[in-house]
Parts: sequence; C-alpha cells; structure tokens
Amino acid sequence: MGYLVRRLEFFLVTLWAALTLNFILPRLLPGGPEVALRTRFHGRVSPGTIKSLEVALGIHTQQGQLQQYLEYLGNLLHGDLGVSLGFYPERVTQVIMVALPWTLGLVGMATVIAFVLGTLIGIFGAWRRGGLLDSVLPPVFVVISAFPYFWVGLICILLFSITLGWFPQAFGSSSEVTSELSLPYVLDVLWHSILPAFTIVLTSIGGWILTMRNNMITTLAEDYIRMARAKGLSPTRIMFQYAARNAILPNLVGFAMSLGFVISGALLVEIVFNYPGLGTFLLQAVNNEDFSLMQGLFLLITVAVLLAVVAADFLTAWLDPRTRERA
Amino acid sequence: MKRRGVVSIGLLVLVTVLAAACGSPSSSTGTPLKGGTLTIDNESGTLWNCGFNPFNGNVSFLAFGPVYEPLVYDNLLNDRKVPMLASSYKWSSDSKSLTFTIRSGVKWSDGQPFTAADVVYTFKLIKSNNALDLQSVWSVLSDVSQQGSDQVVMTFQSPAVPYFYYIANQQPIVPEHVWSKISDPVAEKNDIPVGTGPFMVKAGGCTPQNISYTRNPNYWQSGQPYLDKVNYPAFTDNDPANQYLASGQAQWGGQFIPNIDSYYVKKDKANNHYWFPPIQNVNIFLNHTVRPFDNKLVRQAIAYGVDRPKVSKIGEYGYQPPGSQTGIVIPTFNDWYDSSQAQKYSYKFDPAKAQQLLQQAGFSKGSDGIFKDASGKRLSFTIYSISGYTDWTASLQVVQDNLKQAGIEIKEQDLSHDDYFNHLFVGDFQMAYGSLSTSPGPNPYYELRNTLYSQTSAPIGQTAAGDYGRWTDAQTDKLIERFGATTDSAEQHSLMKQIEGIMLEQVPVIPVTESVAWYQYSTKGFAGWPTPSDPYAAPAPWNIPDWEQVMLRVHKT
Amino acid sequence: MGLDVRLVAEQPAIATEAARPERGALHIVAGAMRSNRKALVGGVILAAFVVIAVIPGLLAPYDPHAQIFEQTLGPSREHLLGTTGNGQDIFSQLIWGTRESLAIAVVAGLMATVLALLVGVSAAYLGGLSDHLLSLLTDVFLVIPTLPLMIVVAAYARSGGLAVLIAVIVITGWSYGARQLRSQALSLRNRDFLDAARMRGERTVYVIAFEILPTMTSLIVANFLGAALYAVLAAAGLQFIGLGNPSDMSWGTMLFWAQNNGALNAGSPLWAVVPGLCIAMLGAAFALLNYAFDEITNPALRPKPRRAIEPSSRSSKFAT
Repeated sequence: MGYLVRRLEFFLVTLWAALTLNFILPRLLPGGPEVALRTRFHGRVSPGTIKSLEVALGIHTQQGQLQQYLEYLGNLLHGDLGVSLGFYPERVTQVIMVALPWTLGLVGMATVIAFVLGTLIGIFGAWRRGGLLDSVLPPVFVVISAFPYFWVGLICILLFSITLGWFPQAFGSSSEVTSELSLPYVLDVLWHSILPAFTIVLTSIGGWILTMRNNMITTLAEDYIRMARAKGLSPTRIMFQYAARNAILPNLVGFAMSLGFVISGALLVEIVFNYPGLGTFLLQAVNNEDFSLMQGLFLLITVAVLLAVVAADFLTAWLDPRTRERA
Repeated sequence: MKRRGVVSIGLLVLVTVLAAACGSPSSSTGTPLKGGTLTIDNESGTLWNCGFNPFNGNVSFLAFGPVYEPLVYDNLLNDRKVPMLASSYKWSSDSKSLTFTIRSGVKWSDGQPFTAADVVYTFKLIKSNNALDLQSVWSVLSDVSQQGSDQVVMTFQSPAVPYFYYIANQQPIVPEHVWSKISDPVAEKNDIPVGTGPFMVKAGGCTPQNISYTRNPNYWQSGQPYLDKVNYPAFTDNDPANQYLASGQAQWGGQFIPNIDSYYVKKDKANNHYWFPPIQNVNIFLNHTVRPFDNKLVRQAIAYGVDRPKVSKIGEYGYQPPGSQTGIVIPTFNDWYDSSQAQKYSYKFDPAKAQQLLQQAGFSKGSDGIFKDASGKRLSFTIYSISGYTDWTASLQVVQDNLKQAGIEIKEQDLSHDDYFNHLFVGDFQMAYGSLSTSPGPNPYYELRNTLYSQTSAPIGQTAAGDYGRWTDAQTDKLIERFGATTDSAEQHSLMKQIEGIMLEQVPVIPVTESVAWYQYSTKGFAGWPTPSDPYAAPAPWNIPDWEQVMLRVHKT
Repeated sequence: MGLDVRLVAEQPAIATEAARPERGALHIVAGAMRSNRKALVGGVILAAFVVIAVIPGLLAPYDPHAQIFEQTLGPSREHLLGTTGNGQDIFSQLIWGTRESLAIAVVAGLMATVLALLVGVSAAYLGGLSDHLLSLLTDVFLVIPTLPLMIVVAAYARSGGLAVLIAVIVITGWSYGARQLRSQALSLRNRDFLDAARMRGERTVYVIAFEILPTMTSLIVANFLGAALYAVLAAAGLQFIGLGNPSDMSWGTMLFWAQNNGALNAGSPLWAVVPGLCIAMLGAAFALLNYAFDEITNPALRPKPRRAIEPSSRSSKFAT
C-alpha cells in the first residue's frame, strides 16, 4: 500500500507543479496577452476595440494574480483551456483536437514500429552473440542516436525528396485529396507519413535494440535457460518463451512510457516536415505568442507523460513483484 | 559581382518573356478559356481554422476579396480605382462627406439581392461592435446613412480624404439578412460565408491544410471569374512552401525565395517568373527623445553612413531595392519622387562625410575609431530588430559594419515580434530596424503620415498609434494635415515634395531598403497575371483585397 | 524520438563495488581510452574539436561573420565548403562555431552534473524527509517534458543569448543524473569508512565532499558525458528553431540560417549538411565515451576478456 500512496503523491505533486508552471510561464513574458493583442492589430485600433477584444478573449488584466490562478485551476477542472488568440474564436481544445490525430497517427505508429523492430533485432542479436547484428549494430546506433533528429529529417528530405523525388517533402496529405475516409485518402496520408516516420524510427530504434539485447544477454546466463537447453528444448522456444519473455520487461515498461512521449516526442520532425501535428502548432503558438494555446499544449503533453509514467510504474509493479517489495 | 549579373539577367529574361506573354492568346483572342484549378502558395505561418469572419484580424485575409468585396478597389501600387460594389462615388466640395452609388443587380451567394441597406448595416455593425472596426474608420466618420434607394452618404468629423482607401477599399461588406441573425459577430466563425464575391467556400471546402475556393456561378461581373477553383494550402514554414512552388504544384507564390533564379526560375525557365514591386520602406527608426538623435547632424551622419545598395544585396539578395532618403518608394511611386531635391543631397555611402558631420556636431574620434561627445560618452547604440526576421539580421550586420566605418557603434538586439512593437509603441528604444506595422497605402502619404505625424504619437511611456520615434515638427504636421484635406492631385504633389524636403534635410527616419510584395507566378497553363507592364493589382496573394482582382483575371490557356 | 524521452522508469540501482576512493577523473578517462576502442574513438574526436576550439584563428581562413564574398558559391579552393546565402565562408563559420558549440556542451554538462550531484548526494546522505522531498523534486523534473518546456522558456527569454540557453538546458537536464547519483550514494551511505568519518565527528559537508564524492568519480564522469551529449542536442534543437541568438556563431545557429535561407533547395546544401554533421560527431564522441564508461562504472557488467557484456542501465537514454 505504501507504494501506491507514494506513487499517488508523486502523481499529484507533479500534476500540480506542471499546472502551476503552466500558469506562471506566460506571465513572465515581457508584455503578456494585452501587448500581444495590441501589436496583433497594429496599434491602429482604438483602445475601445482592444478592450472589447480582451473581453471576448477572456483576458482579465485587472484581476489579482491569485484570483487569476484560482480561476485558472477552476477552469481546468471543467476541461476549459480558454480561447486561442491565434485561432480566435476557436477554443484551445478545438484546435488541439484538429492536430492530435495527426501526431498520434504519425508518432504513435513510428513508436510501435521502432519498438517491435528494435526488440526483435535485440533478441536475435543477443541470441547470436558475436554475430553481425550483435557486433555492428550497437555501436552504430550509439552513434546514430547522438544525431540531432531534425537534422536526420533534413538529410532525408534532401536525399529522398529533393534529389530522388520519391516522397513528398511536406504536409500530412495532398490538397487535391479531400479528407473523407476513403482508400485514396488513407493511402495519401500513409504516403506522406513515410519519410517523417522513417526519421523517427531511425533515431529511436537504437534504444530498443540495446536494451533488449543487454537484457537478453543477462537472462541467457540464468540457470533456468541452461536447464532448458539441457532438457533439449527447441532453440526458438527457448529464445522466445524462456529468455525473451523474461528479458522484455524493461522494454515493455519503456514502451508504456514512450507512449506518453508520443505527443511531445517528435516536435521538431513535425516542424521540419510541415506536418499538421501538435509540434507545428506549438511552434506556431510560440511564434504567434498565442498564450492559451501554448498553455493548453504544454498541459496536454505533461499530463500524457505523467499518465504514461504512472501506467509504467503499475505495469512494473504488476509484472515484477520485487519492485513492490523494494518500495 | 557574379550574383548581380545573375540577377539582372533574370530580370531581362523576365521582361522579355513578359513582353511575349502580353501578346499571347489571352489578350488577342479576346475571350479567355474557362475552367481550371489554380493553387496559391503563400506561407502564412498557420494552419487554417476554416473561419471566414472578415472582421476577425486572424482570418480576414482569407475572406476579404474573393468572398466579401469592397465598395471600390483602390490599387495599392498606383491608386487607380475600380468600382466594385459601388458603381461610383463623389466627395462633397468641403471634403467632409462622401456619397457612394450602390451597384444594382448584385446578388449575395445565397441568392438574396445586395442593396444599399447592406452597406449601411455593415458600417453600423462595426460601429456598435468596435472590436470589428479593424481599420478604425469610426475614428473619422460621424455618420453613415442611406439616401434614396441606392445611395450611401458617409459624413466625416473633419476632412479625411485619404481615409477613402480604408473605407472604400479596406472594408468588407456583409449581408444584413445573415449578420443580423448572428448574436455575437465578434465570436462568429463564419465557416460558410455568404458574400458577393467571385468565389465561395462551400461546406467541406476547407480543411486545416487547404481551402478550396469554388466559382460563384451568379457573380455579378458576367463571365467572370474564369477559374473553376482556387486552392490555398496552409504552410507554416517558408521552405516547404518554396519547394512546393518550385516543383510546379502551385502557380501563384507570395513569399521570399532565397536565390530565386536557381531555386525557382531555373526549374522552368519558360514559365516561372517573379516580380517584386516595392510597397513600403524598411527603416532605421531613431528615438528623437534620446540624445544625440535630437541633433540633425548626427542623423545626417547616420544617413551617409549606411551602404544601402550593399544592405540590399547581402541582406535581401538584391530583391528588396535600396531605400531613398526622400521616403518615397521607388519605382512604385515614381510619380511622387522629387529627383532634383534628392540629387542635391545625394545620400550615398560616404563614411568620410559622416565623420566630418560628426566632428561638426562636436564629437571627437576615440582611439577605437568610435566618436565620443565632450563628456567621453561613445556613440554606441542598441538597435532593436525582430527575432526570426533573418533578412533583417543579415542586413543589420552590414549596417553595423558600415556605421563602424563612420565612427558609430550599433549593437543588434532581437525581440519577439510583440515585444518589439511594444517597445516602439511606448518609445522605449534608441534605434529600431523595421517597417511600420500598419498596412501601406496607395501613395507615399500613408507611410509618411504614420512615420512622421506627431498627432499620432504619444509621450514616452504611453502607447503611440504612429510616429514611434516621437518626431515632433509643426511644419511636418501642417503639411500632412493639408494633404489629408485636399482632393486636388496637383496640390497633393506639391505638399509631398515639401515633406520629401524635410526627410532629406532633417532625416527624421532613415529608409534603408524597400520592402516588396513577393510574387511568383507560372505561365504554364495560366495567363492574365499582373505584370510590370500591366500592374492592375498589387500581385502578392497576401495583398488584400487586391488578390480578388488577380483571381478575377487569371485564366487557363 | 524527442530529446525528452529519457528513461524515467525505476532504474536498476547501480551499485559500485568500490569502497575506497577511486583514481582521479583524468586517470579514469585515460584508462578507459586505453582499454576500450569506443572510448578511444570518442576521445580522439573530442580532442580534435577541443584543438579546433582553442585555435580557430589559425585554422579558419576568413572572418566567419564577414559578408564579403559572392553568395551561395559551391566548394572551391578559396572556399572549401562554399559560401552562405549571405556571402560568408562556410568553412570559417564551421571552425569558429566549434568554440561555442563545445562551450555549451561542456559548461551546461558541468553545471547539470554539479546540480545533479548536489541534489542526488544530499538526498541520499540526509535521508528521511529531505530525501523524500528532494527525490520528489527530481521525479517532477524527470517527468515534465523537456523539449516543450525548453521551447516555451527559450521563447520567453528569446533575446537572452547564451546564458539563457545554457540555463534552460541545465534546468531541464539535471534530474536524470541526480537520480542515478542518489542511487549510488545511497549504497554507500552505511559503509564502514563513512561510519568511521562520522565517528570522528566530521561535518556533513566534509563527509560528502571528501569521503563520498571521490568514491563516485567514474559515475560522475559518466554523468557529465551524458549531460554534455544532452546539451549538444538540446542546444542544436533550440538554435535550429531560432530560439538562440542568431548573431552567435555556432553550429546550431548555422543550421538556423541555412534552414531560413532554404539552403537545401537553393543550391547550397553543404551549408545545412556540414554543421549538422559536426553536431552529430560531437554528440557521437560524448555518446561513445559515455557508452564505454557504463562498462567501467558498473563493475558487475564489466567486459569479460572476450565477450563484452554491455550494460543495460543507461542504454535507453540513447533512444532519445
């Protein structure tokens, strides 16, 4: 029980910290929403117009900070993230709902691919110690994982889009294809996702390979594996049912957690590929000084990570009883 | 040197091809072909939210023009006026009242007739909801009323002739029968707009990535528009947009393309063209309340200490031409330019002359080459720029080097867009690099009024609507006021010459380069584009409402 | 994926067998390079960059800022990598940019490590409520997504320049190390030699500084390498999207300028490719050293004579 209480405490404190940070950050900016409004309309607009717009946007410049903070927390309880300055009159939640599917689709898929592929390579690499997979891949991926992944994206664009012309350079889909759920549209979306997804997989797969391989190696040295071999079980069976099944725990936990990072994980890739996901929106919000949208996105990202971390914690506790004892 | 050659050859090619294009089927055969889909390529930095409220500053550039129309189209490049929803207009002799005759036979896209009542309603609407009055027309208007069945009379508080541009050309007209039912016009999204314009956005015609404008079959100019459809994809970054254009997926571009001759023109030499007509200035703003900018000689020294052609070449790839100290944007407003006065001053890069002026002003050169005043204070200033505007940063690196030769040190500091303008508004700066935040106008008056008219300024610490440098000069103010009160072109020209004289002698602000309407177009399959020889509209897709004129005229070949 | 996908799960505690103070940090690095080829490669790359950063004036033919050449020239004898869209020599920019890029990595890496040490070791040594609160703080910073936080913070302090950039990286980059260092310090807390020190009546600060820290040198070095790698990538990312000071000369700002001038499409791809490559190489140098260090830090997994067993504890970090 102590373990659960501690995790709950962690969850609540982190959530509160994120919410508060989210509240404070925009207010540290020189100017703030009122100035943003004034410059947005070029200073030519009369003070009366500005006042009316402030009211429309729900900017309360005259309230005290504490009152604003309490109101902010209250609004969040109702799931109200406010009105976007850049997409007025859209609400922040509406804007996010437009971008979310794209990010979930692209990065979610890429994460699953990287996880499955990386784990399999790791299993085979460890099984064939000293083989090609085992001796070449780890150092190669240590190096690749040190590459700035937006730059890898740029190189991919240069090679496969500009030079070879195989894939589109930008967008989530072509403008000619309407966004109804039809086969041509789905194919078009897939077509556009290949290059950014490849970039993500390439720069993230190394982690899965290394973790899986190393755990396999440790597991393969265990007594029960020797037992199994001695009993003459088939190698495939030992590899998957005995070794991999036990060695995969850290990777599974990591996978649960990386799902939380899906939302924030590929911001720069989205930006490089002009992909209509949350990353593009976040940078746009920053550049437009669209505070409410910035806050909403940051909040969404934090909560997603937090939920994933807690999920991963419970997954560990459930799969590995030792964790509970240690705590 | 080679680059310069490349550029001029590019222009040559452009001009000859244009000459050829002018004699192409479009004009000779008479009736342009109908049909076709045109794609716009303009980095707007945002994905679409599919709202078309023309009074919403975020999206009005998507609705105003092809969907909602102005009363009179006033060409940004040459002040030529084309009657649109108003078939004619007339100023009263005291320039205090303006009467529009409203066109008959125009229908809204839902089939209802358009009437003078709609015009009156629109102006009353933005008066009662002043968040909608983006052009601040009610700061000069006192009343708008209907006269007879087809006339609308606008009464002014005082003569404000140049406001014609904002009232007739910058104000979209909306249907009373639709907007009177909208409870909150400020928060109205308007996803299916009902306008009088040549194009419509139908249900499902907009996604976050693309807007499809489809032809309005009942448009009042018979036979027009020629195009069936215009696509407007959303780009949040320049590079993908430029690539999209260069690969021929779009035909009408509106942004900066680095090294455009190899990036764009070379991809299809016969069809890919560009034309960058200048529309306003990029200036060094000086804060006149900061010493020693209150000293005319120092200001003149700075004007001599900037190598404008080099800034243009290095910072702007030569696409934005060097600015003129007269403040007149040339060649666009050549008509207003007083070359004899300009030649008399001849503000060419001349560090020796700048140093001489500084000495004359009582400064002495320090051992580090930077001048100092009597108390030993160095001529060292911070110049604000906007972060992310890399062409300005590149330009300022040249300016910095230039001014160092003249004995003045400047240090660039980048602020975010909003922070930058806030510093300008309240006068909290020494020097600033940039353009006015307002839209330019169809003659030099608009920009110079915004830069120099002290009635728009405010004391340091308070928000100014214009004249951020706090230039206060009774003579300047008087000239600007007289210009605004007359409809006589000859008198306006003579007044403008006197303002140019002030710009040259007093140097209240230093134009460094001109900023242009970025415009690229492909003649592959399309004709009817605005060109230097036929400048029927400011040509960038973001020139509002000028882009309607382009969408009306461009057609398939 | 993101720079921010850093392993947050319960780490297998890294226990060191070393009960006695270890050798100095430099000895450890030298030893690692002798015994480990990955470390050797990483060390050589790093050393090369250090040399370039110290004497850029001797290596670069031109002033990196000077906009005096033809724009977007291709590679030639005069301009090994061609010129930028603003008429600057790319090779000279690359040489001069080494200094700031390396400085960010080292300074931010060091500061993050120091912060991690302070929090991690204090938590472990003080125990009780202090430990609980400090660990909670660490966990909070581990979970808050760093890249968005960095983007938002850097946007707020846009004109702040290098100091702000480093501060942002340190604030978002210390927590991972703190957690590791706490684990190791925890395993040391009740060792005999510490008890002895306490018996002698030494002050807490003394015990931490002179008894605990020396035994952890190799983990601290490893931590620094990890933090430096993080700093390289984070700085590059932030500068790339224009949140650094574009007038600075570093590889990240070069990428920013290249991207803004459409270098890939406008006929000067080297402008974008080469600084990225340098960032990748510097990152790889830190990563290789770090990787080799895991093997040294964790004696339980120390390579066997033939078959090296790679440690698992930190590898996921490279997934980022």
